[in-house]
Amino acid sequence: MGEASGSIYDSLRKKGVSRRDFMKFCSLMAATLALPVGGAAKIAEALEKAPKPTLVWLEFQDCCGNTESFLRANDPTVAQIVLDLLSVDYHETIMAPAGKQAEKSLYDVVKNQKGKYLVVVEGAIPLKDGGVYCTVGGRAAIDIAKEVCGNAMATIAMGACAWDGGIPGAAPNPTGAVGVKDAVKDITLINLPGCPANVVNLTGTIVHLLTFGSLPLTDSMGRPLFAYGHRIHDDCERRAHYDAGRFVQIWGDEGHKKGWCLYQMGCKGPETFKNCPAQRWNQGTSWPVEAGHGCIGCAAPHFWDTMTPFYKRIEQVPGFGVEATADKFGAGLAAATAAGLIVHRIARASKKKSSEEEEK
Amino acid sequence: MPKIAIDPITRIEGHLRIEAQVDAGQVKDAWASGTMFRGIELILKNRDPRDAWAFAQRI
Repeated sequence: MGEASGSIYDSLRKKGVSRRDFMKFCSLMAATLALPVGGAAKIAEALEKAPKPTLVWLEFQDCCGNTESFLRANDPTVAQIVLDLLSVDYHETIMAPAGKQAEKSLYDVVKNQKGKYLVVVEGAIPLKDGGVYCTVGGRAAIDIAKEVCGNAMATIAMGACAWDGGIPGAAPNPTGAVGVKDAVKDITLINLPGCPANVVNLTGTIVHLLTFGSLPLTDSMGRPLFAYGHRIHDDCERRAHYDAGRFVQIWGDEGHKKGWCLYQMGCKGPETFKNCPAQRWNQGTSWPVEAGHGCIGCAAPHFWDTMTPFYKRIEQVPGFGVEATADKFGAGLAAATAAGLIVHRIARASKKKSSEEEEK
Repeated sequence: MPKIAIDPITRIEGHLRIEAQVDAGQVKDAWASGTMFRGIELILKNRDPRDAWAFAQRI
């Protein structure tokens, strides 16, 4: 917390981050964003000059899971860099002031840095009964979101709840909970769904903004392609077992012990797009599928309703039945690839359209 | 007696409002309110019991 001053690199040097560690971070970001050769150098150059952006973090109908994810950037150097990239001026879970002083921190940013600050939203926004189901300082979440997101340079909806309502929005949605995209219109918004979202993707989005002056390219659902452009199933380390028809049948059986495919146990990897297999969690230690549990599809739209029951096998996966004939698999894969390309084109077209609209 | 309200209470997980009635520097009465409701119990109804951990974990 504090004044935004000096470049990010200056601030890191003062805290004892070496040039080597800084370049390692830039390389990690270039890899995350899938930039071509020279990407790391470009990021380094930008961060050497870029002033620290001010960020405010709004919590609405949340469980604090994305905050935990944010604070779990637990490699000391990466954590320093992530927290130093930003001047976090308002975050209820970690800030010292409370009550009126806390509110002052927020509205000072809105007033004094209009159009220049970033907002992260965590949690859904309830619209039912005038928004009474979530209030901060006596104000409804929807009113706060409209003012704070409406005056920001960009809003990042972090986690499933801020994206499409998430768990509060699951049937029967008792509080009329929606995501930012459905609550606040006409704002610059990027979505990082997941339950929780991975801090690497938050950092990647902000680094992209600082390096190129724009948010990363998104798909038709407003998710950055660098993080949500690949199907979990296609990058899964257990994929070879799927292709060979080696499936876990019962928890703890021989196949489970040997790390076979979790598809029959209800894994939602074949329908979920996110970079978990590459980025993993807890400093790259592991991820759910490696740990022996199927993917629950947390980056998919309305996953609490569409991906449950979590232990029920999904049907009609393109390419399923590979073990039967290789040709069948090939056709399935081609169909899946074609579908992927169409999604990509739609995303690009809608992105182009939205940027044209911005220019008007 | 003057009444004060502190909202948001920070450094906790969740949304909390505290109102207190203060008399000569002493708190005489106080009220705490959780200012966020999702209805997880209502959402859990009629679902596969094997999924309950994932829902309840998000409280």
